[in-house]
Amino acid sequence: MGSRPGPRLPRALRRVAGGFAVPLGSVIFAFIVGALLVAVTGGDPFQAYSGLLCGGLGIACANGENSALQISTTIVYFTPLIMAGVAVALPFRAGLFNIGAEGQFLAGAVACTFIGVKFSNLPAPILLPLVLLGGILAGAIWAGIPGVLKATVGAHEVVTTIMLNYVAQWLIRYLIVGGPLQLPHGFSVSSPIGAGARLPSFLPNDNSLIIFGLPAGVYRVHTGLLIAIAALAVFAILLWRTSLGYEIRAVGQSQRAARYAGISVPRTIIVTMLISGAFAGLAGAIQIAGVDHNLTDKYFNDTTGFEAIAVALLGLGSAVGILLASILFGALHAGGAVMQQDAGISSSLVQVLQALILFSIAANFLRVLRFPAFGRRPSAPSPTAPAAALMTEAAKAPPEETQT
Amino acid sequence: MGQARLKFLGFAGVALMLLAACGSTGGGGGTPAKTYKIGLVTDIGGLNDKSFNHLADLGLEKAKTDFKIQGDVVESKSGDDYVPNLTNFASKNYDLVIGVGFLMQQAVGTVSGQFPNVHFSIIDGAGTDANGKDLQHPNVQSLFFKEQDAGAMVGVIAGMLEKQGKAKKNQHVISAVGGISIPPVDHYIAGYKWAATMEDPSIKVLVGYSNDFTDPAKCKNVASSQISAKSDILFQVAGGCGLGVLQAAGQASVYSIGVDADQKDADPSVIASALKKVDVATYTAIKNVVNGQFQGGALTFSVANDGAGYAVDNLQLPDDIKAELDKVQGQIKSGGLTPPSEKSW
Repeated sequence: MGSRPGPRLPRALRRVAGGFAVPLGSVIFAFIVGALLVAVTGGDPFQAYSGLLCGGLGIACANGENSALQISTTIVYFTPLIMAGVAVALPFRAGLFNIGAEGQFLAGAVACTFIGVKFSNLPAPILLPLVLLGGILAGAIWAGIPGVLKATVGAHEVVTTIMLNYVAQWLIRYLIVGGPLQLPHGFSVSSPIGAGARLPSFLPNDNSLIIFGLPAGVYRVHTGLLIAIAALAVFAILLWRTSLGYEIRAVGQSQRAARYAGISVPRTIIVTMLISGAFAGLAGAIQIAGVDHNLTDKYFNDTTGFEAIAVALLGLGSAVGILLASILFGALHAGGAVMQQDAGISSSLVQVLQALILFSIAANFLRVLRFPAFGRRPSAPSPTAPAAALMTEAAKAPPEETQT
Repeated sequence: MGQARLKFLGFAGVALMLLAACGSTGGGGGTPAKTYKIGLVTDIGGLNDKSFNHLADLGLEKAKTDFKIQGDVVESKSGDDYVPNLTNFASKNYDLVIGVGFLMQQAVGTVSGQFPNVHFSIIDGAGTDANGKDLQHPNVQSLFFKEQDAGAMVGVIAGMLEKQGKAKKNQHVISAVGGISIPPVDHYIAGYKWAATMEDPSIKVLVGYSNDFTDPAKCKNVASSQISAKSDILFQVAGGCGLGVLQAAGQASVYSIGVDADQKDADPSVIASALKKVDVATYTAIKNVVNGQFQGGALTFSVANDGAGYAVDNLQLPDDIKAELDKVQGQIKSGGLTPPSEKSW
């Protein structure tokens, strides 16, 4: 990285603080505009945000909400976002824009359900790894197709990944509406996966056990959270501590330079997409194995993979950033309902806030924040290149055609 | 440089203090007098769906003016929200939590098991397990409808129009477009077919399914093929998808019939709507709780208790058809006529 002379200790801190300035600024910007919108439409922004705070983080609950329950709901919401966020962030580093995390997520969910239903009698030590691996594999294949197409014929991954989202959505529709996975005599739901395919919750599903004033079964936090954290660690190590990670970053910074350094660009693109899809597929498998236990029509219009794009952008593609952004989005999701119950403000405000955050990140107009507050830094592309730069990179001509 | 660090630490300190301050206000609250608390959870259609969710909200609003209740609504943005939304109300000891629509069956089944002291009502469904089996929790009330009653009423209109040669093509062919072949959809169509055949024995009733409840384009395809097979009155039983049926009928200048809510404004071709009075059902469920008359199990709404019916829309009906409608409605109410619910096509 660029080594500029400067005082030692503050620099590390400054890097961290400088890195957080833009996303934090975007979030604050979104909340200010959101407050104005609420006020203009006759609501009370303070009430709205205290509802969000209570619903999302279990803080300042004034209407009898259970803080532990709210936190548990938030965790359930953000667990898949972490892995799907990684699935978008990793290709960003290689200069690829994976809009197909949704399709890969669904592919993972389908594979998990399929295996979990067909082999429902297997014991957990065999079946659980099997469904998770199935999800990983399905996601990898789903992302690998655009990867291979990009690396060989130069088909743009933005287009191909979007298209494969639709294929996955319609595949689910086929499978559970009159298709082979449909529950007998059911309607647009699959049969449930076997008991051995389910990720255990942290708390037993026992209604006679009262924890924090509520039956233990209401706290749905499941061990998928640990897998998500592990996935995040794998992502960080892969990116910064392995030669593959180095190659991915090199390809992302300049394909020409990477090629000159002896890195196979097509191979890196394919491998990046395969790994990325594996993360998204794992997210889908965990959602089935940990929360839903069957495919339902909610997967027709699931948006996890799209929120993951926002998470990756807001998190600036770093592991810590993805974690924080996932928590924020999960908290917003959970908070919306409480806000509507307590303050009477439509939970659609949450989508408005998410869109505003994404907008200000993508427009990148808050970048100026960096300079006055945290000391001058050159505007050369930093390792945490913002969205706009990544998208320009992703829109460049495919690799093979530039080769002479 | 050290200053920046101090600033950052200061920031963190203030934030922590704020958190602590906010946290300490959490415990308070409490209601002095008994006001019944009713929570309504919509499905992903949201409050502006012009159908079930909207009607349920109307029922809640009416109950608010008539009884001493606190009514709160929360919209579900995705299927992920059903369980948390239901749990939220239940954990706050609401007296009645209403789930709108069969999509919530499994969620109601789960949450009602965790909160045996909270009453639950679910429109068009029951509290089930993952296999779709009714768990029969005593604190869950299913609000069902005799769709065949409503279907029969609009079937009378269609049959009479065909018999009298007042439809557009007069080939004695009418049709219905179902979303997916599930019981509520088939009940509607069964009643429709039965009543139309009763009025006009020479009638032919075409039935098609779009296998979808949301995409109007799919229903439009089914409707178009029925129109080219000479159908001139099309009954849509496919929710949002069915709007495509109404449009296709409008474009081909034939008649259409709406479903669930009054769909008069959806298209000029809509001559009538078969109604499922979700507002009546919601209101009744709330009334029962307030009067201490809540009962688990099924509560069925039909023409007999004004929970199902019809609306005449963009067509002036001749007096003899109106008379026939009143006659049939009276006979269904008295039990003289019983529209079938079984699939016969």
